[in-house]
Amino acid sequence: MSATYGGMRRRFRSMASVAVAVAAVVAAGAAAADALSVLQARQAHYKEIGKAAKALGEQLKSGAPSLPVVQAAAKQIDALAPQVPSWFPAGSGPAAGVKTQAKAEIWAKPDEFKHDAATFAEAAHKLDLVAASGDLGAIRAQAQAMGQTCKTCHEAFRERDD
Amino acid sequence: MTEGGAAKSTPSPDAARSSVRSVRVRVWDGPTRWVHGLIIILIALALWTESHDQMDWHIRIGCALLGVVLFRLAWGVFGGATARFSSFVRGPATVLGYAAKLVRGGASVHGVGHNPMGGWSVVALLGVMAAEIGVGLFCVDVDGLESGPLSDRVSFQAGRAAAHWHTLLFNVLLALIILHLCAIAFYAVVRRDNLIGPMLTGRKRLRTTAIGSETTPADLARGGSAIRIGLIAAIALSVAIWAAYGFKI
Repeated sequence: MSATYGGMRRRFRSMASVAVAVAAVVAAGAAAADALSVLQARQAHYKEIGKAAKALGEQLKSGAPSLPVVQAAAKQIDALAPQVPSWFPAGSGPAAGVKTQAKAEIWAKPDEFKHDAATFAEAAHKLDLVAASGDLGAIRAQAQAMGQTCKTCHEAFRERDD
Repeated sequence: MTEGGAAKSTPSPDAARSSVRSVRVRVWDGPTRWVHGLIIILIALALWTESHDQMDWHIRIGCALLGVVLFRLAWGVFGGATARFSSFVRGPATVLGYAAKLVRGGASVHGVGHNPMGGWSVVALLGVMAAEIGVGLFCVDVDGLESGPLSDRVSFQAGRAAAHWHTLLFNVLLALIILHLCAIAFYAVVRRDNLIGPMLTGRKRLRTTAIGSETTPADLARGGSAIRIGLIAAIALSVAIWAAYGFKI
């Protein structure tokens, strides 16, 4: 009787530990899936910025820039730039096991990262204002200044492309 | 660079005294050597500007290289004897035969112009350069702001893909350049054959027996008239400038 009881208890214990292990694996899987969806959204957002910056750069290089295209691009970047820190929740970096060029430093030095992101957002907002003025020389200068804030942050917090 | 005519192979005085056992012949015409020099300079500048965030200049230099490569491709059809593809692009049997002779060593295994292996090295270098420049026209920087003159024809993502290919092809080009330098070192050290001097001066001292029976020194010297060189250069330069403006003017 007691032997049977002890056996049941052991069985229960082993079942419980299996359940815990399964739960841990599921949770890890869910976290990874979560990190993946965060990553995909982040990349999609950055691609929107890239697309707008590309349109902006191409217009400014061309002989006859289209002011409406320039203004729309500047407005879009201004709208997205302040969101940057929110695209990097904890657990969405390389430690989460997802393939990302986001460096672990983003989460190791959050103040510096937020500072760089804020500098970008300020430059983007100023570009939006300058674009509205329609002064192409000033727009070019501010676009370059904003581009520099992209580079600064990328150098510190983004793995270089191969 | 416009030296034409037949007076370019001048047997040196002492060679003449010893009943012309060796002659100094022109093996590379002027345009071929100028193109070679320009390619070295422009690749160095392209690298420097890229690593110093001078993308405007990097793109201009790339377009200049496009012009130089186009000139060289045209010169491979209309240029001097040793510059023509038809004179140095050889079949696999010839290439393997030459490689075997090279491994065995011994006497001079090749006369003038590109040897059968070197010919393919030229084709590979020019081909990869053309691809590298062609892809480069479509590149978009990660920030989106910097982009090649044809980037407006493609999406941001396609432009980023082009940039990855641009990096990859540069590594291939770098490997080919290193191979090229190793081959030059091999000829200098193992075969006691200085390839750099002739590429600078255009002239090379050759034993008369090393010159093929069908090519006389006068043939090798033919570099093309100033008009021909100027015409090809003008077309290549126009295409390069046109490309820099995204083929929009």
